[in-house]
Parts: sequence; C-alpha cells; structure tokens
Amino acid sequence: MTSSKNFSITVRAWRQAGPREPGKMVSYGVKDVSPNMSFLEMLDVLNDELLKKGEPPIAFESDCREGICGCCGLVVNGDVHGPDEHSTVCQLHMRRFRDGDVVTVEPWRVKSFPVLKDLVVDRGALDRIIQAGGFVSINTGAAPDANSIPVEKDRAEEAMDAAACIGCGACVASCPNGAAMLFTGAKISQLALLPQGGPERARRALEMVAAMDKEGFGNCTNEYECEAVCPKDVKVANIARMNREFLLANLVSKR
Amino acid sequence: MDITFLKRFITTSIGRKAVMAVSGLLLGGFMVVHLAENLLLFRGEAAYNGWVDLLLSNPVTPFLEVGLLFIFIAHIITGVWVRIEDFLNAPRGYEARKWQGGRTIGSATMLYTAAAILAYLAYHLLTFRFVDHSMGFYQMVTAAFRNPAFVTIYIAGSAALALHLSHGMQSAFQTLGLTHPKYTPFIKLGGLLTAVSMLGFALISVYFLLNIDLKTAEAGYQVTVIR
Amino acid sequence: MKLDANIPAGPIEKKWDAHKFDLKLVNPNNRRKYDVLIIGSGLAGASAAAALGEQGYNVKVFTLHDSPRRAHSIAAQGGINAAKNYPNDGDSVWRLFHDTVKGGDYRAREANVYRLAQISNQIIDHCAAIGVPFAREYGGQLSNRSFGGAQLSRTFYARGQTGQQLLLGAYSAMMRQVAAGTVTVFPRREMVDLVVKNGRARGVTVRNLVTGDLEAYSGHAVLLCTGGYANVFYLSTMAANCNVSAAWAAYKRGAGFANPCFTQIHPTCIPRSGEHQSKLTLMSESLRNDGRVWVPKAKGDKRLPHEIPDEERDYFLERRYPAFGNLVPRDIASRAAKTVVDSGCGVGPNGQSVYLDFRDSIKRKGEDKIRAEYGNLFDMYYQITDENGYKAPMRIYPAPHYTMGGLWVDYNLMTTVPGLFSLGEANFSDHGANRLGASALMQGLADGFFIAPSTVAGYLGATKFDPATTLDKEFGESAAYVQERVNRLLAVKGQKTPSELHRQLGNVMWNDVGMARSEGALKKALKKIPEIREEFWKNVCVSGADKDLNQTLEKAWKVADFLEFSELFVRDALERRESCGGHFREESCTPEGEAKRDDANFSHAAVWEYQGEGKEAQLHKEELKFEHIKMAERSYK
Repeated sequence: MTSSKNFSITVRAWRQAGPREPGKMVSYGVKDVSPNMSFLEMLDVLNDELLKKGEPPIAFESDCREGICGCCGLVVNGDVHGPDEHSTVCQLHMRRFRDGDVVTVEPWRVKSFPVLKDLVVDRGALDRIIQAGGFVSINTGAAPDANSIPVEKDRAEEAMDAAACIGCGACVASCPNGAAMLFTGAKISQLALLPQGGPERARRALEMVAAMDKEGFGNCTNEYECEAVCPKDVKVANIARMNREFLLANLVSKR
Repeated sequence: MDITFLKRFITTSIGRKAVMAVSGLLLGGFMVVHLAENLLLFRGEAAYNGWVDLLLSNPVTPFLEVGLLFIFIAHIITGVWVRIEDFLNAPRGYEARKWQGGRTIGSATMLYTAAAILAYLAYHLLTFRFVDHSMGFYQMVTAAFRNPAFVTIYIAGSAALALHLSHGMQSAFQTLGLTHPKYTPFIKLGGLLTAVSMLGFALISVYFLLNIDLKTAEAGYQVTVIR
Repeated sequence: MKLDANIPAGPIEKKWDAHKFDLKLVNPNNRRKYDVLIIGSGLAGASAAAALGEQGYNVKVFTLHDSPRRAHSIAAQGGINAAKNYPNDGDSVWRLFHDTVKGGDYRAREANVYRLAQISNQIIDHCAAIGVPFAREYGGQLSNRSFGGAQLSRTFYARGQTGQQLLLGAYSAMMRQVAAGTVTVFPRREMVDLVVKNGRARGVTVRNLVTGDLEAYSGHAVLLCTGGYANVFYLSTMAANCNVSAAWAAYKRGAGFANPCFTQIHPTCIPRSGEHQSKLTLMSESLRNDGRVWVPKAKGDKRLPHEIPDEERDYFLERRYPAFGNLVPRDIASRAAKTVVDSGCGVGPNGQSVYLDFRDSIKRKGEDKIRAEYGNLFDMYYQITDENGYKAPMRIYPAPHYTMGGLWVDYNLMTTVPGLFSLGEANFSDHGANRLGASALMQGLADGFFIAPSTVAGYLGATKFDPATTLDKEFGESAAYVQERVNRLLAVKGQKTPSELHRQLGNVMWNDVGMARSEGALKKALKKIPEIREEFWKNVCVSGADKDLNQTLEKAWKVADFLEFSELFVRDALERRESCGGHFREESCTPEGEAKRDDANFSHAAVWEYQGEGKEAQLHKEELKFEHIKMAERSYK
C-alpha cells in the first residue's frame, strides 16, 4: 500500500567518465527512499543530491518509463533489468528492496555495446542488424488493399509475439556468450510468419545473420537466459525459426 | 565445382552451430547403438562375441569407423570454435551476476564435460580398441569391469556423457530449427531420456563389478534365459 | 506575418488530388542533390524519411535517442483509425472527416481534416504491406474495434501496442533506405537551433549529445517532427525526453506557433504517489467500458471503498451524463473528475484521485472475463501501485497526454518560414481543440508517409535555391548563439536542480492552467512563470562540462525553453475566452457547468509570432470556415 515507511539503501554504481576511461564501482547512500518510487526515480533523487553537492550525476538512459521504448537497461544486483520477471528496469519499484540493502547497478557489459559513460551504452549494432534486412521492400503508395492478402490469425498473433521486441539489448546482456540471436531471431520470425515478408525471406535471413556476425555478437548455445530476462517475453522459438530460415536459405541459395 | 559456399556457411554463427548439432546428433545416435550393443553383455559371452564378430567381419565397418572419426572431429572443431568465439564475446566484468533461469548444470558445463568425454574416450580406446583381442571381447570387457578403478573412471565418463547430452540433444534440435510447440516437449523429453540412458554404461559395469552375473549363476539362474 | 493556408480550390473531395497534380516535380536524377533534414524519428519523422528516401532525396534524420526506434509514438496503446468500413457499419471518409472536425470542437481546418480521412485508408494498406502485425479475424482479414466512444468500429490495432508496431514499421522502412544510401541517421543529436538564410530554412544546429560538440547541417528543407510538449506540466504521460525545444527554436526564428493552450488531458491515468514522481502512466481508456467511476458522497470520507454502501457513493459520470455515462469523451470525463476532487470528495492518500470500480462487472461477467480483456492493464496497475484492482477499485486521475497545439502550418504542412515543415504532433493542424482516440497515429503517418513527401518535393521543385553551406555566417551566428546559452547555463552554478525548477513550473501550469482555466488563475500564472524563469537563470545548478555527455545540461536546456514557452501557453489560454475541446474557461460555460464555445469570436486558430527577447508575442488569427460541416454544440447528456 501507498503508506509504507521510507527507508535507506546504499547504491553501488558503475562510474566511467568516457568510452576509453577506466571505470569503477562507487557507493552512495540514499536516504528517505519511498517504496512507491520507481527504481529510476530513486536514481533521479540520488542524482539531484549529487548535483547539489557538486558531484557529477550518474548518467543512465530512460525515456518512456513505462516499459515500451527500450531505452533503459541496467543490471541490478546481478539481475538484468532487475529482479522482476519480464519487465524493464523502469518498471521496477523500490518496494522490492529493504532498509539497509546494498544495491549494485551496472551497465550492459557487452563487447558490441561499448560504454559511453557510466551506465549509458551504445546499442547502434542492433540498428545495423535491422538495416541489413529487417524490413519489407515496398515503396510508399505501392501497397494493395490491406485485406487483399489474408493472414492466418494464429500466424498474425505469433508474428506479434515476435514483433513485441523493444530492442533494449537485455538478451545480449544476459547471454553467457553475448549473442544477439533473440533480437535478430525475433525480427526474422516476424517477417517470415507474415506473407508480406515472403519474397525476401531467404535474403533477409542470410543478410541479417551476416550483419549480426559482423557486429561481433556471440554464438547461441541454447541456454535460454535471453528468454528468461526478455521484458516482452519473446520466446526462443524465434531463434529456432531463424535457424530454420537461415539453413533453408543456405540450402536453396544459388550462391 | 566451387565449394566456397561451404566455407562461407561454416564461418557463419548459425552454420557452424548446425555442423556441431548434426555431428552431435549422429554421435548421440551412435552412443545409443553402442549402449544397445553393450546390453548384449547381459546375454552372455556367446551373444556378445557373436555380435562383435559379425561387426568386425563386415567389410563396411572400417569405413564407418573412419566416418565416425570425421564426425567426431567435426564436432570437436566446431565446438571449440564456438567456445573460443563465445569466450571472446561473452559479457565481461559484471560485479554481480545471476543466472535467471535458462542455464542448467548441463549447459554451463558443456566444455568441461566435453573434455572429460574426450579424455575418457582416449582411455576407452586404449583399453579396448588398440589392444590384443585374443582373449575374446567378452572376457576382456568383463575383466575390466571387475576392476574397481576402471569402473570408477567408467562411471565418471558415463556421467559426463549424460550431462553433456542433457543439454546437447535438445540444443541440437533447437539449432537446426526443429521446434514446434506441440512436439518440442517430447523432443526435450527424448533428449533427456537419451542422456539418462548413458548411465546405462555405468550400470553395466557396476553389474559386473558386483559380480551379479556370477551370483545369479550360482543361485541357479541361467543368465542367458533373458531372451 | 502573413497566414495563407494555401487551401487548393475546388470541391473538398478533389482538393488533394488536384493539388498533387499542381505541385512541381523534381527529376529523379536531380533528387539526390537535394538535402532534406528531418528532426525527430517518431512516426512522422521516420515515415517521412522513408518516403522521401524512396523517391531518391538525400535525407538526414536526427534523433536525440540512441536509436531511431524509441520515440514516444511507441507508447500509444489503442489503435489507428481509418475509414475502411471493413465491418460494414456505415463508415466512410466523409464520416471520419465529420467525426474528427466535430470531435475537435470545430477548431480545425476542414480541408486538412478531409485529406487526413482520405489518406487514412492508404496508411492501413501500406502498414499491412510493410509487415505490421495487425490483429486479424479468423478469415485472415483485419480486425477492427470501436474506440474512444466512437459509434462504429474503425480502429485497427496490434494488441495494446499499436503505436509500437507502427513506429517499428516506419523505422524499418526508414532503415531500408539507410541501407539503400538515401537516408543517414544521426542518433544522439538534439536540434538546438534553426538556421534561416535569405528568409528560407536552410539548416540546423544540433548538439552531439555524446561529445557535446555543436554540429551544423545545411539542407534545402527542414522537417520538424518533434512531437508534443505536454511535459510543460512536468508530470504528464509523455516520455521524459519529450520537449518543446526544437519547435521553440523554430518559433524564435520566425515560425508561428498556433493554439499552444490546446492540451488533451487523459482521464484514466494512475495518480501520482509522491514528490519524487517523474512521470504518469496512462491506462487505456477502454477500462471505462467496464469500470464505473465514483467518489464518496461525503467530503473527506476516509472509509475503505468496500465499507461505503452504494447509496453513499456518487457515480458522478452516470449522474451527470446519463446517456453516455462512463463513456463520455476524454475532456468531459477529466473535468468531471477534477470537479469532484476540488469539492473535497477525492480519494486516496492525498485526495487527488477517483475510483474506477470493476466490482459490478466482475459480478456480472466473472473475474476471468475481466482478466482476459484487461489483464495487462490490471497487472500494470498492480506493478506501479501495489494494489489489486480485482479486489478493490483502482484509483485514477487525469493527466496531460497530448498537445493539439503546435507550429502553424499551411495545407502543405509548411510553417511560416519557407522551407520549414512541421509534421505529426509537432504541428497544430488536424485535431482542433480536442483529439479523438486513435487519431494521433493516423495523423503522424498521414503527414509522414503521404503528405510531406508530395509537398516537400513540390517546394523543392518550385524553388530556386541560393547556395548555402555550413560555412555561411548564418550557421556561425547560430552556433555562437547556442554556445553562449550553453555557457550561461553552466555559469550559473546555483542551488536548484533543473528538475526542481521544472517541477515548480509544472505545479503552476497544472494548478492554474490545467483542466479548468479562469482569468484570475491565468493572470496569476503569468506573474509566477517569469519569477521561476528568473530564479532559473540565477539559481540553476548544472554541473559537468559542455563537451561531454551531460544529461543535466540537456535537461536544463529543455527546462529553459519550457520556461519561455509556458508564458505563451498561458497568454494563449487567456486570450481564448471561450471553452472548446480540451480548453475549458470557467467564465465560458452553461448554467449546468458544461463547456460553451463562442463561435462568433473564436472560430480561428490563434497564431503567435515572436517579436524578440523580452517582447510580447504578436497574435495573428487564421479564420476557420466551416462549409461542409454544420457547427453544433457537443452534448453527451
């Protein structure tokens, strides 16, 4: 309930001044934490205090703060996106913590996502994977009537399940190998399931996997940590579908 | 005749894994057959040696052996390759790190169980394959199985194999894209059963270690009645 | 400032087609020689970039996010309207046009709205074709639902994530052009100034948010697709980074700002829980289909909701609007909630909320049915409040959600600065004084995919451009101006953080310029805002360096603009002495307290022209003529 008592915690956060600077964990006390605060609001409060003391605030990313934009992404006490299942860290609330807790906050630590500052990383590699083929090649104005291509309801739902990906990078951050298979698989799946994506299926699978490899992401060892942390509950069946698409594409490809 | 496509295929993350998966499934299949062969030990000397003779007299067998060797090498190369890349790409430096439910003991120890299996395989070949077979295969195997030190290694090897396959079998299907909401649970169960069945090797050795075959014979049972 | 809406002649049904024919074309081989700068990569920006890239123009897109897939269009839940009439329930382009003009309380331009309704169908076709996973029927056809009190089913949707799916669709279309080499995306760049040369928009100054460097880009047209400014209220349902800065920079460079006071307040938001709150979360208004809104009849009633018997509850929407009940439009539901809260009957720890009760629906339909329909919303509510909406009523309160006001644009979506276009929520055009549910996505994509690609091309084809490079003195002056302002922000070294000052502004805006506005309160706000602004420039605390990733500096820049913009907002509200749509003036209401429009005096778009620092903006009016739709009172009794 909204009336629980406020408490104090210690935040141990990763501080790194720039991409090429060394970083370290630094501890800060945060008093008067309301259980109704979101985790990021707690960091806001801490940052305002740091600012007033003349210390640099902790840089972290967030935007919508309702779990859909994919901006935020922190490892809290070793949990990617915090301890709540299938949610982003912006949806985590302080009622999950107790008085006196020490809370470690770290950025995604992935080779392909270099740290820019503190908890801010560069996830541009994900955009480059999409640009390799995560689209349907049709020009604006060239589309037939939307109902002229029927889509089986179950397939549309499955495509939607895959399309729910918010591109936060949690799957990569949680993967023991730093692989982006769930991200790439979700997009390949979405467009493979819909008839609109049909003509480019083979090319898309080949190009997107190539782009993914080029960005230096790891291999999939099918341990499914990605599925466990995905805020949108995107399933590893999408990785299997990507594998299928890719293997078939290779088999029939004339190259 | 241009085979650069193969090179291109195997240098992709998924292609490499596919080779690893196919070779793994074949090796897993081989292990199941091998277990079935070993079960013949229960039927006594005649049955077992009879099968071995049949096998060795078949002119195709040496080719199969070479094939098996190639599959095994392919599995090792792709496996090590994947492992090295993953080691290089793995998220590094988390001060606190929790696994959130996907990882299993089997999946986290693949490299170690692989090494154990390799070591065990070498030992296995040295004790059974590249030795003098004049005493007869049944005698050779059961003699080894009555040695506690050998059985200990044998049990450890089977356990490593079981652990390896507990992740490996279902993983191979996933890698090859052979999943389906209806059938995948059965595939996973099948993989698990295959893994567990690897303990059968251990069981056979324990059976002989404890001299159960002799005891049952003494008790007046004919071991060979199991037909 | 001359306001010419450039509405094409001819019957309203033919205007757009005729206009497209009249627009000049650019030879395909010449298109890559034209640079188009697009600010913002939401629905409008991304779709415009895709469509212009497809035609072969050289497009540069700037976004303040790390990736062009994150704009706040992504948070729209409900759906997108189109006049497809697939359900055969009597819809048509004409009816969508009619509903939008009426819903906007007759403060939008007829020709624009008609075009929007026409294009709505093409949007659905195109989005289905680019792989947006819209909901389907068993026959494979697209599914529709009724939304926001509409009398028919014209809303297309992708679960509760329609905005996300449409944005990702537009993003993917744009990324295809990135691969094709026609579009270049510049992430983590914030537009800080518009560069005007010889009266035309010729470039922008952007701040690289990683290095802090000021970068100049020149082009032949600039498209502002920078969204809405509801964060002027500090607490709103908008994303933390939504701001007015780009539009405000354009305003200061000569673009007229229209109807800044038109804000939509959404009734079903989760109430704030304390001072620390950084944003408010919206729950789909579909909840009102099954939830009943009430407060205790007695003031300050501290009993738990289940202890209050029915006869001591005030189901105020059902009482005041028996015909529509809990389904009255957003503005009306919001104001009614405010009225009961102001009268002291509000509930919750600070009395700033009303109940949304599912008890009766659960009794009637069963909890399972309710869970199937709204489960995700109940979960969301639980996650934020730790309260179980199945067991006790939810608490809700209205929150700022969308801004109908924005840069004034003509029929070509061009602002009063030639070469500067504004698309999507950033412009003022199509929703009048109130936006209907599921129409924001429609407008963003209509502007981006279909309108701007024709009209921007028309402008490029018809214009003889002087040469312009980033070495021109206009670019130098712009950079110097921005650098000076950045230096000033860093030099204050005061005691209050930008967030604290933003919150201060938000309190004034919400209390005095919120859901109900009176002359007295508005005048009070006009006094308080300059005081906060003065305090800001004397006492703001921005640490860190200029040439660095400095989020405090980014925030301070935005707050500084809000502190200037809010004054214009209030003046606009003060000037409009009528109630219409989301703008409610207490002086202009019926004896029962309902909004009363004043068509004789205020049937216009109020367009403000910048006169220089410290000077009062000048008001211009674009008279709105209604030739096709009869003006009538909105009544939901």
